[in-house]
Amino acid sequence: MFSGSWSRLTRLSASITGGQRGLSLFSSSGSSNWSKVVSDAEKIVGYPTSFMSLRCLLSDELSNVAMHVRKLVGTQHPLLNTARGFVSDSKNNLQMRGLIVLLLSKTAGPSRAANDLLAQDMVSGIYPSQRNLAEITELIHTAFLVHRGVVNLKEWTVSDGPLKDMEFGNKMAVLSGDFLLANACTGLAQLNDTKVVELISSAIGDLVQGIYYENSYNAEDGPADGVDAASWEEQTFLSHGSLLAKSCQSALQLAKHDKEAQRLAYLYGKHLSLGHKLNSDLQPFVKSGLGEPATFSLSAAPVLFHRQIVGKERWRQQLQQAKTLRNQLDYSKLSAAVKSEKGVSSAVDLCCYHSNRALEAIQAFPSSEARSALENIASAITKF
Amino acid sequence: MAGPWWRLCRRWAIGGATTTLSETLRCFSGGPASSSACPLGRASWSSGAGDERRPSFSPQTHSKAFHLSSSGLRRAPRCSCRATHSDARPEDPFTLAQKDLSSLYDDIKKELFVSTKELKHLCDYYFDGKGKAIRPIIVILMSRALNIHSNKAGDLLPGQRTIAMISEMIHTASLVHDDVIDSSDERRGKRSINDVWGQKKAILAGDFILSAATTALARVGDSTVVKVLSQAIEDLVRGEFMQLGSKENENERFKHYLDKTFKKTASLMAHSCKAVSILVSSDPDVHEIAYQYGRNVGIAFQLVDDVLDFTSGADQLGKPTAADLKLGLATGPVLFACQQFPELHAMIMRRFSSRGDVDRAWQYVLQSDGVQQTTFLARRYCEEAIRQISLLRPSHERDALIRLTQIVLSRNK
Repeated sequence: MFSGSWSRLTRLSASITGGQRGLSLFSSSGSSNWSKVVSDAEKIVGYPTSFMSLRCLLSDELSNVAMHVRKLVGTQHPLLNTARGFVSDSKNNLQMRGLIVLLLSKTAGPSRAANDLLAQDMVSGIYPSQRNLAEITELIHTAFLVHRGVVNLKEWTVSDGPLKDMEFGNKMAVLSGDFLLANACTGLAQLNDTKVVELISSAIGDLVQGIYYENSYNAEDGPADGVDAASWEEQTFLSHGSLLAKSCQSALQLAKHDKEAQRLAYLYGKHLSLGHKLNSDLQPFVKSGLGEPATFSLSAAPVLFHRQIVGKERWRQQLQQAKTLRNQLDYSKLSAAVKSEKGVSSAVDLCCYHSNRALEAIQAFPSSEARSALENIASAITKF
Repeated sequence: MAGPWWRLCRRWAIGGATTTLSETLRCFSGGPASSSACPLGRASWSSGAGDERRPSFSPQTHSKAFHLSSSGLRRAPRCSCRATHSDARPEDPFTLAQKDLSSLYDDIKKELFVSTKELKHLCDYYFDGKGKAIRPIIVILMSRALNIHSNKAGDLLPGQRTIAMISEMIHTASLVHDDVIDSSDERRGKRSINDVWGQKKAILAGDFILSAATTALARVGDSTVVKVLSQAIEDLVRGEFMQLGSKENENERFKHYLDKTFKKTASLMAHSCKAVSILVSSDPDVHEIAYQYGRNVGIAFQLVDDVLDFTSGADQLGKPTAADLKLGLATGPVLFACQQFPELHAMIMRRFSSRGDVDRAWQYVLQSDGVQQTTFLARRYCEEAIRQISLLRPSHERDALIRLTQIVLSRNK
């Protein structure tokens, strides 16, 4: 029975991994330091968190999708890349969010309110419900990676590949994203805690709003104006922080920890996510350029802060100056412009601030191996 | 009328080992609700066989049906028959549910709390009061009928009202995604969200409506209710997946079709009905009645929908919508027609993708009695729904639910 499942998984990966290298889902900060911090942390929580996701991956529904996704090879449909990452990215912290939920669960330990009977169910100091929650967090995150890849067919061009295939890619992306979300829903219901259902549902709502906002300006060249740190934080929290923050809070709710402990867990998740996002936004600006200049999004934090500092008019000029003859953007030129002002340094400062706030949040918990791992992760986001 | 049906069942029997269609259906009426469902479900199909030539609904039929079934049930209240007679005129479900649903769309819009103006507009787009709101109507009537049955007089429970609202939200969220999947550019007489704002935004709007629904669901504060409705959400997606595949084996194909129909349409009705029953009663038999009513009405509703895809519009323009065929889907009328015209088999397997397939398939269906057979099957599901709901103590709302099955069968749009 197991061998059947495995051959199916292999077929699945074979059908969608092309020659391309898998895409890193959590970050671009793939320094060896980061990898070590993560792999050390993984050992602390016992076994990897992949059972629920594996069940989804091996379901008839998703195997079916995998068969169909083969048709998309050769097109530009984003589902293809997401699917590649889905199966081949074992090294690059695919399940980072789940790992943090587990580490926080272990850090907080059993609460005084939870009775002894429950403690017997613990594996490596983590309740089964908390493990399930970690899986659910991952399912939701993956569902939105898939849904983010739906494309607008009215913007279709010949270079995307046949329109029919793109339409089909959308169909698969919608269905498989919905499938993962639906499994997250039933998984949540099984946790028997309506407070947790409410928290995670609202996190899904936040995530949707954050992605919607991102989409509304990514299409052109970032929002009309630069944004200040406060509104950057507000938006980034929705798209990158809420799910982890509310999952961390939920993990402690499941172990019946009090409001204060839950608040601290929430803060750790929130600040870690924001710091991590800043870290990945900063990568193109801090890596000293060997080889071709790094490209970056015009809505990356350092650029947004820079735009706010220099004002609309000067930014327009700088953008104009960085345009080459064929109307392409010369990123190294633009990057130099951004670096000449305080955009990068204020992003670095903000990153350190969030790292510190994350560290502070977990100091109230007793010192342990798990807490040290959380501290290492929070420190690692300020290393570039 | 019954003749072709049973002949068909016999034809469906393949070899000695496999099940016949009638057995398949029998299993279905047990449903995945719980294993305890079997006695009730089974009784319906076997004892129903003698009754089936009388598909019309007179008050007499009701009380007779009630007598027959109540003999086997311990819990049926004694005075019910008289009450049924005294109120011979069936209640209009729409009027009766109206007072509880006057603020439905306003309540939904309040749940859809978003800061981005445009996203808010997208989410509200289909909650314009133009939908049939059939799910909330069923849930409200079921709640009141159940409350009276359980001697809880007075108003609806707040949670029941919320579940009525959630049922419409979940349904709408799935419509928004369905339109992207099927590339439809029209819905309820206006342009679809994906046509106006593009696929990316449509998917997010659907996701947001779903998250708002599950947040409201969590606030009801009952873990069992959350489990019941999350099952309905999962079924919706699995049903959509089932539409991707066709079965080679004809017997399997029909089971696949009914299974898909349950998951895509009936599951939400069944589970919403079950959820409101859990809030008022701890009796699993009552939960089962609510669930079975929703399940049977839901399947009948979809079967009629599948028939209308072939018949509606045909009178005025002579051209059917045949939207399902164009999407490559073989629904009830086609599956029945395939019995008389085996030529359809190949077309079903290639999902009507060759030139002229859709027109030819449509011709075959009209020449066959596929439409009548499907309608007949829908009627059987309605009879079972009536049998189930008649187990409740009589009330205006209960009778309105009975009347609703007639409306489901006779609707023409």
